[in-house]
Amino acid sequence: MISREDRQLTSGKLSFTIIFMIVVRAPMRIGFVGGGTDLPDFYHRYPGQVISATIDKFVHVVINRTPLVDKISARYSIAETVDSPNELQHTRIKAALLDLGIDKGLEIASFATLPVKTGLGSSSSFSVALMKALNAYLGKKLDKYEAAEAAARLEIQLVGEPIGKQDQYAASFGGLNMFKFNKDDSVEVKPILLDYRKRLDLENHILLFFTGITRAASSVLTEQKSNIDKKFQTLKEMADSIPEFSAMLLEGDFRSLGEMLHDGWLKKKTLASNVSNQTIDKLYDAGMRSGAWGGKVTGAGGGGCVMFISPVEKKAAVRDAVARAAKEHDLKEFKEIPIHFVQSGAEILYNGDQLPTTLA
Amino acid sequence: MENYIRNFSSKVESALKNLPHEEIAKALNILQAVYERDGRVYVFGNGGSLALATHWVSDFNKTVFGHSEGLESRTKRFQAIRVPTTEEELTAWANDVGYDMVFAGPLQNYLQDADVVIAISSSGNSPNVIKAVELAKARKVAIIGISGFDGGKLNELADAKILVKTEKGQYGIVEGVHGVILHLMTEYFKDYFDHLADGGGGN
Repeated sequence: MISREDRQLTSGKLSFTIIFMIVVRAPMRIGFVGGGTDLPDFYHRYPGQVISATIDKFVHVVINRTPLVDKISARYSIAETVDSPNELQHTRIKAALLDLGIDKGLEIASFATLPVKTGLGSSSSFSVALMKALNAYLGKKLDKYEAAEAAARLEIQLVGEPIGKQDQYAASFGGLNMFKFNKDDSVEVKPILLDYRKRLDLENHILLFFTGITRAASSVLTEQKSNIDKKFQTLKEMADSIPEFSAMLLEGDFRSLGEMLHDGWLKKKTLASNVSNQTIDKLYDAGMRSGAWGGKVTGAGGGGCVMFISPVEKKAAVRDAVARAAKEHDLKEFKEIPIHFVQSGAEILYNGDQLPTTLA
Repeated sequence: MENYIRNFSSKVESALKNLPHEEIAKALNILQAVYERDGRVYVFGNGGSLALATHWVSDFNKTVFGHSEGLESRTKRFQAIRVPTTEEELTAWANDVGYDMVFAGPLQNYLQDADVVIAISSSGNSPNVIKAVELAKARKVAIIGISGFDGGKLNELADAKILVKTEKGQYGIVEGVHGVILHLMTEYFKDYFDHLADGGGGN
């Protein structure tokens, strides 16, 4: 084996480990129940529990080494090229690079299937993919727990976002899972094992609509966090509903799942004043009046996507009604998002860090 | 004679009754994820287990995509590969380096981040199998471990721990049931792709 050090700069010639890019992708997710109980202020008092499933919408992070350019570039919705990570505007890329001691010669770009702030966990998917990619760049491979924890640490500790850990775990592990957040900060992951028929059947009962309203999760969660004392009982009930939801998933009892989702949504709306608003309520009511069994707003709330569980024969009616309500409220970016569940978690799709090459 | 046959059959029956359903389900999910990311499945074992690996690879590769719409209509692949791929490689590693490297040696060349391994060992303790499993573990590649007896080290290291629990030395029963489990894995994906081809995807 040639060690990384052996491949570095040698006298006379410029010798590099040329990285032909690292490509990592991480899936977005739909949270079904228990969102909010993954905040430390709650789970330090009572075990938090959530159920979520990853979907076929991904965030890709690409890293490219630039041995001849002593700069850091970050390309996302904008492009930044700076002399040192300190000057970056992107808070998470900046914090990650400073923490890992990477200071130059790197391009980082991200590509996502869907825009940010849709309530599908994309920002944590980005963080998981970023940490997996940067560690691979340093020659270290992260397993699922390590990648989830690295992303959670980045977002919560290093950047100080008021969020929980469920999205980092969902993106890292992939699939339909139950996550339990314990007092001692440990996390238990229990997959809910549906065969392909049940999984496809569940997909077939779900409708997902992007409202066109975007918001940062932190704006909702900051208030929610300060309300945890007042809302402790509600959150506890949400966490306690998880085993039943899991049982209904395994049974394929979609009506009960819809009803539990509806119940969870009503509870969640009480957690902070901005979880819902008039426009979101109108969209939701339109779907429910057209025959959906239940639904919710994905993510922290305040915007993002509205999801329904509906009888298959009512899907067309729900679609029409929600689209009409969106038009009435002039939601120009409103769109249905077809989804399939995926088993994939955060994965290194390509790692070109194999060949030592010498530039004469 | 009757008694002997009945006795053997009842041991097989009891092994089948006690299949670790949840671990098999986890293995199917691991394979599903490999398919989604276009990774490959590497399979290995010694003796009868190597025969099972080869049999599975040929079945899986032929059956899963070898019907209905065929390969032309698909952009994704789902490839299973036995390690080592040739007897020449096997004997070269065994002769030149050592028998413990016959799987890990070739595997360290093949294995990429998106892949997965299936290790088959009745005892779960074959040094060459464990060596290859440790390589996969170090590279954070998911491991489906198919073992017998008490599961041995393989069952400890695997992410999906498919253990056919029997008394020590019951190779016939363990290998027979391993064959059934491997067929189940092939059938599952064959049915899944058939179902999709029939328009069962919904949404």
